[in-house]
Amino acid sequence: MRYLYHAMRMQLKCAAQYRASFLMQSIAQCVMVGGDLLAVTVLMNRFRGLGHWSAEEILFFFGVMQLTFALCECFGRGISNFSYYIGGGEFDAMLLRPQPLLVQMIGNRLDARRLGGMLVGGAALAMACLRLRLHWTAGKALLLALASLGSFFLILGLFLIEATVSFFSVKSIEMVNVLTYGGRQACQYPVDIYPRPLRLLFTWVAPFALCMHLPVSVILDKPLMDVPIWQVYAAPLAGFAFFAVMALVWRRVGVTHYRSTGS
Amino acid sequence: MKKQTIRPYLTAFRIRALLETQYRGAALGGVITQAFFGLVLAYLYTALYAGGDPAGLRDTVTYVWLQQMFFRVLMTSDSELQNQIMTGSLAYTLCRPVDQHAYWVCRDLAAQWVGALMRMVPMIALQFILPLEVRMALPESPAAFLQFLLSLSLGVACVAQIHTVTSAITMKTLDSRGFSGMISLLMMILAGNIIPLTLFPETVQALLRYQPFAQALDAPIRMYQHAQGTAEFSISLAAQLAWLAVLTAGGRALWRQHLRSITVQGG
Repeated sequence: MRYLYHAMRMQLKCAAQYRASFLMQSIAQCVMVGGDLLAVTVLMNRFRGLGHWSAEEILFFFGVMQLTFALCECFGRGISNFSYYIGGGEFDAMLLRPQPLLVQMIGNRLDARRLGGMLVGGAALAMACLRLRLHWTAGKALLLALASLGSFFLILGLFLIEATVSFFSVKSIEMVNVLTYGGRQACQYPVDIYPRPLRLLFTWVAPFALCMHLPVSVILDKPLMDVPIWQVYAAPLAGFAFFAVMALVWRRVGVTHYRSTGS
Repeated sequence: MKKQTIRPYLTAFRIRALLETQYRGAALGGVITQAFFGLVLAYLYTALYAGGDPAGLRDTVTYVWLQQMFFRVLMTSDSELQNQIMTGSLAYTLCRPVDQHAYWVCRDLAAQWVGALMRMVPMIALQFILPLEVRMALPESPAAFLQFLLSLSLGVACVAQIHTVTSAITMKTLDSRGFSGMISLLMMILAGNIIPLTLFPETVQALLRYQPFAQALDAPIRMYQHAQGTAEFSISLAAQLAWLAVLTAGGRALWRQHLRSITVQGG
């Protein structure tokens, strides 16, 4: 933990050295997520809602997803760009260091530019809250925190699939992007608008529905599933489980079969 | 001094086209990605329309699929020029007795057409196995299809020229990521890839239809869906031709100016 803190502080110091570039790239991130926000706004302006969800509720879902995803890209860049470690031979050095691999991967690449994305996501979330006049309770706040945390680990788990694939082919990452960016695109809307196959995929395989949509729907007082309340609090655990399984696969399938690219 | 023939440009086109056919893995990845996004978007619009306007839904779903099919036209991401600038091997290319601007445009056109065709075939095949409600529609009439083809070829040329303007600016700034990232995003939004331009509010429609990025795919797709009368068709074509002329002239001017003062990097 102290190593992680130290490594991340170094990363931030590095970023602070190139202030103008850092600022520009953060703004670029702002604009990128802003483009998605524009898309949702235009759609909601045209259709006034989605199924039984109002425009504000959709904005709420959008905000939670973008905020969480930007957080993942900030902290999980080492995982999502894992192919660079392999391609550059840097992974060999990591294997030699007396620190857990995953901790090194997260600590070595902190992408603070994603702050821009977080700002836009957070702003969308705040705007939705204001318009909805949500009645907040301690339970709901806890639920939101759990939902973000669970989804955070779920998305990191998806990044880990990419990392595992890059042990075998450094070039086929584009295909795997479907999991992460496709997941973000599809699941920034509540899962119940999709037909059964996609719903099953996002409930039981990549459980965005359990980690994010179910708790958020309860916050919005429109529960997605008819389940006892303790199960709603427990649902984001699916994200941790997903991450754990993917970390294991990464370890067993990837790291054990690793052969250095040499230099 | 230079004897101008068309042959070197045809060769540049052919070589880049052949290269493109070698990237089968990338094409497959592209197809899977575009198919997934297309499917998700088609279902999203099905839910948004919620049975209210079947004709509108059909048009929007068709729009989405055509955008996904021709995605490669917008994003050829030819990193060769960028690489050559950064490594300095551009010096050799500059020695060739060809018009530099036209040479790179030919390469880009090859990547766009061949790349798009490679991705289009499986995407069309996919349409036959999709559930009926998320399939794309056929062109409205043979006339609509002909209009679409004509307009599409102009649109692809427009995008190639937009790419040269972008690369002229990267030549100057040497920063490929920040600026071209922004342009890509702008292109995705204003070309109608993220959401169909037809879904924007009425008040901005006129503005959106005649901006340069809409000439790429939005203009042809509108024809695919509804054959246009002579008047409307001529206006659409005139807009495409005008932008093509402006972008070509602008791109050429920028290239001439930048190539004169280019610093060869590396050593």
